[in-house]
Amino acid sequence: MTKANQPGPRHHVLIVDDDRDYLAAAGDAFAWLSDNVWEIHVATGAAQAQAAVETGKIQLAVLDVKPAGSEVAELIGQLRQRQPKLKIVVMAGTAMDETRAASLAAGADLFLEKPVSPEGLNAVFQNFCELLGWALPPPNPAARRSVGLTDLIQIECQARNSSVLEIFREHSLGRIYIEEGQIIHAVCGEFSGETAFQKLLGIAGGTFELRDFELPPERTLNRTWEYLLAEAARQRELSGLRGRAGGAVSGDAVSTEPAGSASELLICAGDGEMLYQWQCADAAARLKLLQNIAHRAGALVFEIQLGKLDRLEIQLADGRAILQPRADRLIFARIAAPFVK
Amino acid sequence: MKTDFKTWFASLPAVPGVIACGVRQPNGKWGGFSDEKNFPAEKIGNLLQQFAELHEPLAPAELPARWTTWVFEYGQLRFVPRPDQWLLLLVVGPETEAAQSLDQFSEIFLALPMK
Repeated sequence: MTKANQPGPRHHVLIVDDDRDYLAAAGDAFAWLSDNVWEIHVATGAAQAQAAVETGKIQLAVLDVKPAGSEVAELIGQLRQRQPKLKIVVMAGTAMDETRAASLAAGADLFLEKPVSPEGLNAVFQNFCELLGWALPPPNPAARRSVGLTDLIQIECQARNSSVLEIFREHSLGRIYIEEGQIIHAVCGEFSGETAFQKLLGIAGGTFELRDFELPPERTLNRTWEYLLAEAARQRELSGLRGRAGGAVSGDAVSTEPAGSASELLICAGDGEMLYQWQCADAAARLKLLQNIAHRAGALVFEIQLGKLDRLEIQLADGRAILQPRADRLIFARIAAPFVK
Repeated sequence: MKTDFKTWFASLPAVPGVIACGVRQPNGKWGGFSDEKNFPAEKIGNLLQQFAELHEPLAPAELPARWTTWVFEYGQLRFVPRPDQWLLLLVVGPETEAAQSLDQFSEIFLALPMK
């Protein structure tokens, strides 16, 4: 049985479980979460699973810990034999250590507890994407109202769109002009250019609308959108770090000067591309640490069942370090003692 | 003096917001408790081990941690390693009395005499 109605390249995912209701629910959920990019195949037992993998199409197999007609370790071996590059995830209602160990020893790539909430399901979906190196689907245009301003700018620029973003808080505060994926002008009150852009992205609680492109009165920006967004992220991160550490933060007035409290800062894209670094003696080592933490913590997320990891805070003798290993961005910041209680 | 530690440790679950707590001794023995079904005793032991391993790359990166806080959507994990190899793990709910007291608990654990 397959469920797919989306043209274009697909990812083929096989779900194996003897509970037909679970198969239907999980299949529908993953198809929806992937915007129908995932073509869901289902099997109620080991024999059907082997037949599905035999086709050579399946890229990810999600196995119930007790598949009908076989032991899970045995089934993992049989599927691997048919398709060595197949990614295999075993899911259990309750993750028991011995079952986890047996599954991983048999060659499973991941062992997870079955999600019991929409948030959990979404976290599992994202974990599958990370395991396979599959991109998360872009937000549906109809859902853009729930997308952040930074996300929307990134989407517009990556798609090489031309548009005008108007930012409001009660009244119009400013505009950002994007032409064929390049940010060419920003205006915010009496400010224009990069200062205006950073002010607009630093505004808390505002709303925005995407409008048809029109030529701006002038062109005041020529830096890449990646740089501009990374700089904005740095400003927000520093503001947030100051806030967490008890420093005064102004939501509107975003300084363009490096903060005196931050002693080191690194911002990378999710794939490790370095977007911004400031006073990192060894940025590559910091990136490696971030990736190491992200990788190892990712596996723990499902064991702990406290939702997604937001950040790791490290209390040091002379300050604090904060690591944020997000799917789309890796951030390392070190703050000197004066801002740490 | 170990009694002092035991008394203090045994009092932790009564703090509103504590989901689970565990401690590992230098000899590898560990103990812990939780009323949450998501944190059976075996899981606490596993987490102590796994978070100890997660600490390993920090010192070579010139980040010798007094403690670490893993902030999740629905809770926080505080991991406190002592120089004498004792380890403390606390799992607390967000915005609870326990979350507010994490630094205090960590300082107490670091200062308690264990012998």
